[in-house]
Amino acid sequence: MSAREAMLARLRGAHPDKAEADALLVAPDRRAVDEGALETEFLARIALPSVSATHDIIERLDELPVAVGRYLEQQGEPLTLCLPPDPRLSACDWSGFTLRESAAPEETAALAIARKGIAETGSLIFETSPHAPMLPNFLALHHIVLLAAGDIAPWLEDALLPGPQPRAHYWVTGVSGTTDIEGTYVRGAHGPRFLHVILLR
Amino acid sequence: MSTFTDRADAALADPLLKIAVERTAGTAEAKRAAAIAAFPDFEAARARAAAIKDHVIAHLGAYLEEFEANAVAAGACVHWASTADEACRIVVEICKTAGARTVARSKSMLGEEIGLPHALAEAGIRRIETDLAEHIIQLADERPSHIIWPAMHKTREEVSALFKARHRSPHEEETIAAMAESARRELRMQMLGADVGISGANFLVADTGAVCTVTNEGNAELSLVPPRVHIVTAGIEKIVPSMEHAVHMLRMLARSATGAALTQYTTFYAGPKRPGDRDGPEEMHIVLVDNGRTKMREEGLADMLRCIRCGACMNHCVVFRQIGGHAYGGTYPGPMGSVLTPALDGLKQSRDLPNACTLNGKCQEVCPVRIPLPTLLRGWRERSWREGLEPASTRAGLGLWAWVACRPALYRVATGVAMRAMRLLSRGGWIARLPLAGGWTRYRDMPKPAPRSFMAQYRKERRG
Repeated sequence: MSAREAMLARLRGAHPDKAEADALLVAPDRRAVDEGALETEFLARIALPSVSATHDIIERLDELPVAVGRYLEQQGEPLTLCLPPDPRLSACDWSGFTLRESAAPEETAALAIARKGIAETGSLIFETSPHAPMLPNFLALHHIVLLAAGDIAPWLEDALLPGPQPRAHYWVTGVSGTTDIEGTYVRGAHGPRFLHVILLR
Repeated sequence: MSTFTDRADAALADPLLKIAVERTAGTAEAKRAAAIAAFPDFEAARARAAAIKDHVIAHLGAYLEEFEANAVAAGACVHWASTADEACRIVVEICKTAGARTVARSKSMLGEEIGLPHALAEAGIRRIETDLAEHIIQLADERPSHIIWPAMHKTREEVSALFKARHRSPHEEETIAAMAESARRELRMQMLGADVGISGANFLVADTGAVCTVTNEGNAELSLVPPRVHIVTAGIEKIVPSMEHAVHMLRMLARSATGAALTQYTTFYAGPKRPGDRDGPEEMHIVLVDNGRTKMREEGLADMLRCIRCGACMNHCVVFRQIGGHAYGGTYPGPMGSVLTPALDGLKQSRDLPNACTLNGKCQEVCPVRIPLPTLLRGWRERSWREGLEPASTRAGLGLWAWVACRPALYRVATGVAMRAMRLLSRGGWIARLPLAGGWTRYRDMPKPAPRSFMAQYRKERRG
């Protein structure tokens, strides 16, 4: 008998009742969020030390390169950027920037578009696709994220996608950090040390 | 092999260990308390989390089949392993087929449980531990002492010395930030160059076939996205029915483990790289590991399968805080470890663990899935007694006590004599050395007994 058959033989039982599983989710317990002030809630959340992201606000997408340039200059970094092959981003005017399609092992900055922002936790929601590689967002020292203000949703449940899932679905709630040495918090353990959100109104 | 008593002795005599454990566990305790105070109704959330896990454990077979079907549909290969050895064989075989010389490993307690580091070494495959704490203990050739902070027992001075001896370009400044930076430099290129990435799973989502990992360092993603092959080893109890259920469990896990609302990086992996994707592995393998779990489910330990490995029970345990994790001798330390180790390694070798507990109930109070840990520990004590594993002296002593206790007149005489003897041995209200209780008085003094026994005082009150 294979391990599969042996294990399943011992675990065989009644088929789960979907209603029973769903009943466990009615009125989920979660932090209160003011649904009338999602943007304020979200921005307050990402400013907490646990997320420690900075933010900027733009009114139109074509202001994005200026906002990215402003941030990199403030950080004393060169105008070098890993830009995913997303048509919304390539449509912007990036003159003055050195652009890279894939991230170098020590990439300075990577830009990505978040599908959602979550007010409950300050999380940014991403999925992989041919237009959205995943690795640059973990290699870069500065993770710069474009988020449309209208895409801010109250709860983590709003981040979920129905139906077939993307290859990877990931939630970023801060910068790479560690407390592995004497419980002391250090930013930039393996991945980004800085997270900057550019909110498009 | 050393005994639990020897290891606990050594731990208690180590002046640095208690400081190191206290620093991290104390911080974790305070952060968790703040996170729970800020949560609307944590009690209701705990009840819901426990109910979700109970539902899954009751229908585990069907959910595993559903998970398997969805993971396969997403392009992953699903393997089943009844034992630790079988799981290791499967992983090593996949690595060999892939021609792997190096693997990047993202911290997984299940990997430790099945002895994967050893199996990889035996197969001549170089292992790169990418979690900072796992990296530290790999350099020190030690085992984890905590399930969330595996290097909790190390002081910064010890870490500094290790990195200076082993890193190619170590830190120059003696700060924790500089040490973390040294590890970042050391590990980054190694992660990007690994042939295989190996992780555990925090959750297996049945209705999508996705595997969820959570990290604060981002090391899971850096270990699992670049290599050509991603292998997941996961205990079968990690299943949740859907993403919505995973969300609830994630809220509980992060708050209970580190006091955060959510871990920094929470990722769901569904199968290998898709057409057109710029990154991601070409193969994804998921090894579903039993290693005693079906037996636990059948033999009264189903409640323990609720465990989501948050570490809150050990952070709040008065025994763990004194002796740290290594003294427990198993993969999992603290209260949850004292329940799991007898199931995994056998009660005979680990019967001391369920006894190394004050039954103060703190672990059960903080457990996000309400595991009745003290009850389960008592269950092991009873079983150890039934199976005759307790030492002859304990059995004889308790037998004698029971015989006397069933004869009240004799019992009163005997306790009267004992109390007089104890008063004679005391100096200044304390007894420093007591015959037959050397184990107790070796580390602490016994208070001098009251002048009259409880029964004597009770009789006097009723008469008076």
